[in-house]
Amino acid sequence: MINTETLKTCARNGIEFVKKQKDVIDAEIFASWNEHITVRLNYTSDIPCNGVHEPKSTQFSGIGLLAVFKAGKETKVGFGSSSNNITPKGIAEAFQKARKNKLHDPDFKSLPMPIGKPVLENYHDPAVMEIADETMIDLGWRALKGALTEFRQKNFNNSIIVGGDITILKERMAICSTKGIDDFDESTILTANITSMIEKEKVKGSGWNANTHLSNFNPEEAGRESAESAIKTIDGERIPSGTYDVIFGRQPVTDLFTNIVIPALSLSSINSSDTPFLGKLGQKIASELLTVYDDGTINGAVGSKRISCEGIPTGRTNLIHNGFLVGFLANYYLSKKFENSISSFIPRNGFRFEKGGRNHNIQPKICPTNIAIEGKEEVTSQSLLSKINNGIYIGRIWYTYPINGLAAGDFTSTIIADSYVIKEGKIVKPLKPNTVRINNNITDILNNIIAVSKDKKQTIVWGGEGVVMAPEIAVHSIRLDNISGFIA
Amino acid sequence: MKSPFLKSGRIAIASSKKINLIEGLKETVLKVIQQTSSLKSCKYADIRLGTNTIKYANAENGKAKGMGEDCLISFGTRVIAGEMGAWGYYGQPIGENESSPRSISKILTSGINRAYTRALANANKKAEFKPFAPSLTAVNLAKIDSCNDTIDAIFDEDPRNVPLKDVLTLCTKTSMDMRGASTDVQYTHIDIHTGINRELFCSTEGACIDQSYALTQGMVAVVAQKAGGIPEVCYDYMGGLRGWEVLKGKNIYKQPLAAFALLRTRETIELTEAEFLSATDEPVVVVTNPHFNALLVHEIVGHPTEADRALKLETAYAGRSWLFRNFNDNELGKQIASPLLTAYSDPSIDGYGHYRYDAEGTPGRRVNLIENGVLKGFMNGRECAAILSHPPNGSMRATEPHYVPIVRMTNTVFANGDRDPAEILGEVREGYYIVNHRIPSISESRENFRISAQKVYKIENGHIAKLYRGGGITADSKDFLMNIDAVGNDFQVFPIPNCGKGQPMQVMRVGNGGPTLRSKARLTGRQKP
Repeated sequence: MINTETLKTCARNGIEFVKKQKDVIDAEIFASWNEHITVRLNYTSDIPCNGVHEPKSTQFSGIGLLAVFKAGKETKVGFGSSSNNITPKGIAEAFQKARKNKLHDPDFKSLPMPIGKPVLENYHDPAVMEIADETMIDLGWRALKGALTEFRQKNFNNSIIVGGDITILKERMAICSTKGIDDFDESTILTANITSMIEKEKVKGSGWNANTHLSNFNPEEAGRESAESAIKTIDGERIPSGTYDVIFGRQPVTDLFTNIVIPALSLSSINSSDTPFLGKLGQKIASELLTVYDDGTINGAVGSKRISCEGIPTGRTNLIHNGFLVGFLANYYLSKKFENSISSFIPRNGFRFEKGGRNHNIQPKICPTNIAIEGKEEVTSQSLLSKINNGIYIGRIWYTYPINGLAAGDFTSTIIADSYVIKEGKIVKPLKPNTVRINNNITDILNNIIAVSKDKKQTIVWGGEGVVMAPEIAVHSIRLDNISGFIA
Repeated sequence: MKSPFLKSGRIAIASSKKINLIEGLKETVLKVIQQTSSLKSCKYADIRLGTNTIKYANAENGKAKGMGEDCLISFGTRVIAGEMGAWGYYGQPIGENESSPRSISKILTSGINRAYTRALANANKKAEFKPFAPSLTAVNLAKIDSCNDTIDAIFDEDPRNVPLKDVLTLCTKTSMDMRGASTDVQYTHIDIHTGINRELFCSTEGACIDQSYALTQGMVAVVAQKAGGIPEVCYDYMGGLRGWEVLKGKNIYKQPLAAFALLRTRETIELTEAEFLSATDEPVVVVTNPHFNALLVHEIVGHPTEADRALKLETAYAGRSWLFRNFNDNELGKQIASPLLTAYSDPSIDGYGHYRYDAEGTPGRRVNLIENGVLKGFMNGRECAAILSHPPNGSMRATEPHYVPIVRMTNTVFANGDRDPAEILGEVREGYYIVNHRIPSISESRENFRISAQKVYKIENGHIAKLYRGGGITADSKDFLMNIDAVGNDFQVFPIPNCGKGQPMQVMRVGNGGPTLRSKARLTGRQKP
């Protein structure tokens, strides 16, 4: 493990070294250490199994150096990195690579300049940084125990599957530049995502828990919740193909925002002309009930960071306000590229998230932190049911993709768990998992919102980079197709 | 000792300190693995130590955006330990400054000890839980012969000898030519990488396998839009486990990257003028081309025939398999497809899924998945093979050595048939020709799919007629497979570079393909906002 002081010293000394090098106009040094721990569960009552299948981790550290060189009348920029070498030699190696890799990019305007002051201080958990192997393995067994205890108490012993994982992220970084940025960050994240099934009943339930601190982390509850949800959906029914009013639960809301809405609200999608929101800044793109923003400063939220990987303090970036498109997520490079042609966006979202951490090997891309979704007038979950009256509660969707490209807005996914039929404002029957495919356009969904719930829960989906503070959202007229008729 | 980089053939390879690093470390790694015999409860251990030397560049709209060359070193170790044998893992990248035998020995020993501690702690917990959960079982690996072998990388033009400037120039020039193809082109992007991977596998069972392969890939992205219209987006790849020659035309498309990129650009421009396809409520006759079938076989045959999915290990992530509910209720030996259809997975043939040994040291071999429509088997690793009582077939891979190997497709394909594709199409009075894959969305157990196509053509009286955009097909997997009534003789294997699976997600390259097929499916079209 490398401490933050070492990272800071390396970045600062590195800048002094680079300043002395010939032809260098500006430079930025990013140094980081990360550990990504995964305790993966696989319990199958009817197949020999390991329970906790894989306690594993990968850790990585290194230096990423971006330098601006003078090259005649123009400038060239070069990026180089050095792995597992937070030393002057590592700096020299990264610098040599940056020099070798330099090129003229006409869209490059400048290295990031300092903007404002960070809000968060000491928000990580030292106990997570120091977590012992035995403790992290125990977290996995506790999640399994939560699920199996629930199944036992309700007399389900056979055809049981419990899968999922405990993931622990430890991140430390420091950044220093000739532009005056000199800062650091430390963060810890714990997540439990558990899926339980009673396979012979063809039911599946989900449970999850996310926290920044070990003492508040509750994997048992995630396990218990997943088993409870599976049990509740026994005897589900199919529905005929048609158009329904629906409530998207927290996981589907997170899935839709992670895979469709947020990528479309990023300047990188503007850059590649691949978003349905191209040219729509200032226009109405959603129901007036909807407000969406990214906020990396929410205390206790697992997507929070003190600064971005460009050294810019995190903050609130408004994206949709009362249905109007008001902003895009930005990093410094693209914010500068588009400041004259579109608008000036504060570049709070330049992160180097890759392979489970803030990766020194790559340059900053645009990533969300905590995505907050709010309604103009938020209602209770019970009121959402009343507003729908007759329809479907969708609790978990899967494999959500912009099937005809992000710009077209079409998407599809299947409903795989935690879902119900709503009649006369009440949940009356579970929906049979894996029997419904959603085929819709995201702009329809955004425009047809009926109501947003008050209660939110931090939710992350598989492969997602950001966290969604997810409400439940009621929406009119969603196309649902009855599928997989050959499976009883 | 023979150098694994003296490729048979035309070019003598210059020495490379970083790649040949492995050569000087074999003894060190073997010594570290032998030392695990001193760990009291260690039942098995292996180490994978790998290097990836790579050159890369990218450009958009004719402007250079990045380039570089790097050598990434990393290792991963797996240990089974404890009375109630359980897994423990550890992995990490290694700095170039740490690559001396002494440093490597220290790092690997520390990693093994960490994995051993985890395995022991996990085994103790497993034993404690056993009364509560009787299906908990000590890890058992199917037996394999321990191999000692060295596999050479194959290439005509050594990636290490390609000037980085040439890589960048190809990116900038190609993306500029694409951009210049029409004023309707809004965005072009070319991304290239070329390099050599080398991985050493050593186990406590005595295996010592040193495998190398070259990998060269070009990615093409283009967005075109008519004024006031909806942007048409196309992404596609060319690549191969070969050297720089891949981008000069030694690839599945038999054309250089620049020509391939322009072809995709012209097709995208053409599509901006096409009408959007309308969805149908009922199945129609569809003829799917080999490029489309690459993704189709990937999603509806490849994934559900991975043994770890069948055994529920991916329930929370990538999903299960409708082909295996349990030991007493499954589709093995049953008709799940038309008798005309055979599908297999074969790492020995040319393609992105080619290798000699998998990440457990098991020789990779052809797995017959579907024979004449009957389900025959699953791709597996040693643990899954033992549970299923199947012979291990060497299908375990990790994207990088510091990740845990999982069951992956190799070159997973529909087998070639005997019909002329022109005849297959010519027999269709009314139907649709589905050309080139785009984006998939598949049901959790792979029982239903929706896959979009780059292009869809109406077929009228055996002839290709109108072009549509935004289309694709959807069907229940079994229905589609059972309804196949013609299999072409135009077999091809395409590179699929981005198959996501596992937690944390590993993005793997695989080969997929097949010949032209004819079946029935519902058409999908644009969802009108």
